[in-house]
Amino acid sequence: MDFTWIKLTIGAIATIGLYSVLYRENKFYRLIEHIYLGLAAGWSITALWTESLKSTWWDKMVGTPTASGQPGTPGYWAYILLLPIGLMAYFVFSRKNNWVSRIPIGIILGLWAGQQADAWSKKFLPQIAASMKPIIPNDAFIVPAGTGPTPGSLYVSQAVTNIIFLVTLLSVLSYFLFSFELKTRFMKGMTTTGRWLMMIGFGAIFGNTVMTRFTLLIDRMYFIWIEWLITGTFKM
Amino acid sequence: MADLAQEERTFGEKLQSLPRQVLYLILIVVISASVIASKFAGPALVLPNKPGNNAIEFYATVMNVPEGSTVAIQSDWTNSTRGESAGQLESLLRILMRRNVKFMVYSLADPQAPQVARDTIARITLERKLKGEREYKRWDDWISLGFFPNGEGTAKSIQSDIRKAFKGKRDVSPEGPRDVYQSPVLKNIQTLDDLGLYINITASKTIDVLIERLKFKPARFGDFEVKNKLGSMCTGVMGPETVNYYSAGLLFGLVVGLNGVVEMETLMENGVNWPEGKKTVEYAKDKQLVVPGWTGKQNYARGTSYYFALHTGMALLILAVLAGNIGMWLARSGKGKNA
Amino acid sequence: MNFLIAQAPATPPLNFWNGDNATAGLWIKIIIGLVLGFALMIGLLFAPTRMRRPIVVTFTFLAGLFWMVQWLWPRAGEGVTEPTNATEGVALWLKDALPVVTDFANILTAFLLGLGIYSLVSIHGKRLIKKQTDWVFSGILLLSIVIMMIFGYADWLTRLGEGAAKVELVPGFWNRGRDLLFDGMLQQMDAAMFSLIAFFILSAAYRAFRIRSIESTILLSTALIVMISIMGAIVFMLDSAAAPVSNNLKLSEIAGWITGSLQTPAIRAINFGVGVGALAMGIRLWLSLDRGGVSG
Repeated sequence: MDFTWIKLTIGAIATIGLYSVLYRENKFYRLIEHIYLGLAAGWSITALWTESLKSTWWDKMVGTPTASGQPGTPGYWAYILLLPIGLMAYFVFSRKNNWVSRIPIGIILGLWAGQQADAWSKKFLPQIAASMKPIIPNDAFIVPAGTGPTPGSLYVSQAVTNIIFLVTLLSVLSYFLFSFELKTRFMKGMTTTGRWLMMIGFGAIFGNTVMTRFTLLIDRMYFIWIEWLITGTFKM
Repeated sequence: MADLAQEERTFGEKLQSLPRQVLYLILIVVISASVIASKFAGPALVLPNKPGNNAIEFYATVMNVPEGSTVAIQSDWTNSTRGESAGQLESLLRILMRRNVKFMVYSLADPQAPQVARDTIARITLERKLKGEREYKRWDDWISLGFFPNGEGTAKSIQSDIRKAFKGKRDVSPEGPRDVYQSPVLKNIQTLDDLGLYINITASKTIDVLIERLKFKPARFGDFEVKNKLGSMCTGVMGPETVNYYSAGLLFGLVVGLNGVVEMETLMENGVNWPEGKKTVEYAKDKQLVVPGWTGKQNYARGTSYYFALHTGMALLILAVLAGNIGMWLARSGKGKNA
Repeated sequence: MNFLIAQAPATPPLNFWNGDNATAGLWIKIIIGLVLGFALMIGLLFAPTRMRRPIVVTFTFLAGLFWMVQWLWPRAGEGVTEPTNATEGVALWLKDALPVVTDFANILTAFLLGLGIYSLVSIHGKRLIKKQTDWVFSGILLLSIVIMMIFGYADWLTRLGEGAAKVELVPGFWNRGRDLLFDGMLQQMDAAMFSLIAFFILSAAYRAFRIRSIESTILLSTALIVMISIMGAIVFMLDSAAAPVSNNLKLSEIAGWITGSLQTPAIRAINFGVGVGALAMGIRLWLSLDRGGVSG
């Protein structure tokens, strides 16, 4: 019984314990579930300190010594002010002084909100530019599959594809943005088409979601059968 | 009474109402059998895969990063998506280590992520060690920068001045913890554009945080042109949204989900437009581009091991949806009675 | 605001805002800062009700203002380190301040992440003390937190000194313990918990994915094409069958066309709508226009 096998076995028991809920809710599942939550919370506390706060907050506040133990980087005392500001968030559990918690939360939301205009321009302007596709053809009818387009030429098939791209973009956009009542038949038709075309996006999301979720299950079965049993236990 | 009701149900109704435990059991059996079959069949069950342009461009760019340069890996996943994200990071690490490219790893998403990434690096380092390849050393070849809870601000800081963004961070060196800027990995990085590439491996929307904040200048790696140094390896769930960014030119390449891992493994084995590969992977956009692979090395790994099971799992889901719909039609049309 | 020098590359000169590491002077400043900070916090508890909203609005606005100004203010030229005019001076100050503001954001976010953990501990602590239903599980949860914290921290400590390299070769008690708890248990449980969704997806798709309308037909057809296009072996077979007829009839080409011409613009449009919403929400939050928002 080596350490690796013990580690794998504990992991396998935990996996089976969590899977037992598929049959029905039971005490074994509840036990593993609570251990899972506890370990995750425990690691978060540790990692918030070791991976983040120690270097970002503490070391900058108290400074760091050199390798020989002499004062190296000086400390900046103002960093201590973040402790009471951060602790104000915990007043969210107080009935009387609940509002104080809105100060640190407001600061973080303000920092997020202040970046949105810049973020929007960096994210969407290139997308808008990439959506401006040419629609007037200047070359043969169809581009053969498996070959690249000739620079400067636009095949009829590409032009049709670009028109479909633009119609999809605009109709889904109209469905998404015009939430008020539409009176013209054209706009009604546009939003209906948008709704249908939006389903293509959702269908693709569904297909890809299935891939992810099934892969996670495959990974667990691989762990149980191959890593733990076949390789870990029977050494095959 | 219950039995009587059961008997009166038509075939169509029965087809729509399999107990969920039965469905679960079928799924477990199908996936388990497929995984075990893959293990014992070995190379006989390496299924074909046709890498898409997004994966080819990702691979080609990573393969052209100059040797000795530094790649930033923002690893924003934990084992909750091990099936997809672990294979992605493993394939990336194999390439970077074989090509002697340095890297730094950190997370903007989860406190568990840095440790999970370090464990993955340890796995690949051990794999190389057992094959007698050069050991990739922490501090000299790679560093870990930990976790940054405020991803938005950190990305802004990286964009503004990368020399100050990680100020105060220390990592393990042979002489104990030292300032990360003294490491060979970060020593020569003065601006964001000095990075070889910036790759985000994510199970969430952290690529949005980067797209909204990082802006790379176009670069050249020898004859190879790179319009954007930001690349993404994301889970299938995030795939459709991220494909949109790739098609708008905001990413140099994209690897999506388990299929993406298999694409990477196929490319590592066969290269791109590479005549020496076992199979030819064509890149129709640029037939002059030739990127070699590493035929015969440890290329087929996690992705290939899971791929057959993905086929059977997907087929099962399609069958289940078909059964449900056929059941509905039969029940509606009144057919299948007393079947 | 000289404490911004915390980010300067060389060892900065000592001033009011800083002090040498491990000196009494620095510690006295830190303690005074801490006392002042707590005094401010306690003072806020006694703020009159009508002042509460303006206080929160001010903090939120100032936090957002930094990034807005940072975005809109003209940049100093590349390589400029000394300002030649006031505009450049502000630009350089903003550049210097940026990593400090980011530090503050990281630190405050870390404190806020603790809220969830505090809530978890508080709920299960109460259940344990009052011996309510399932109090044993609550006790196990709290014990798991403590054990993981001890091993996680002890493991980290062993990796701090010159012995870090040795730890990788010959792991000690704390390293093995951390390995067992983190890799052996937590990560396996994490993977198992999230993989359960596969079962629910299968069950839900079987029961609810019905072709009843145009929308559901389109959704199902697209999902089907996407799923089949992910199955490389099927794609290979269908492509091989279509190749003699026309390359354009290959499944990989059709799937690629759907992705590029229908899926991408549809998702781009959805994303665009969400983006406009996020921008509007950002402005409303920054200016505290929502009475029900953070400003109360």
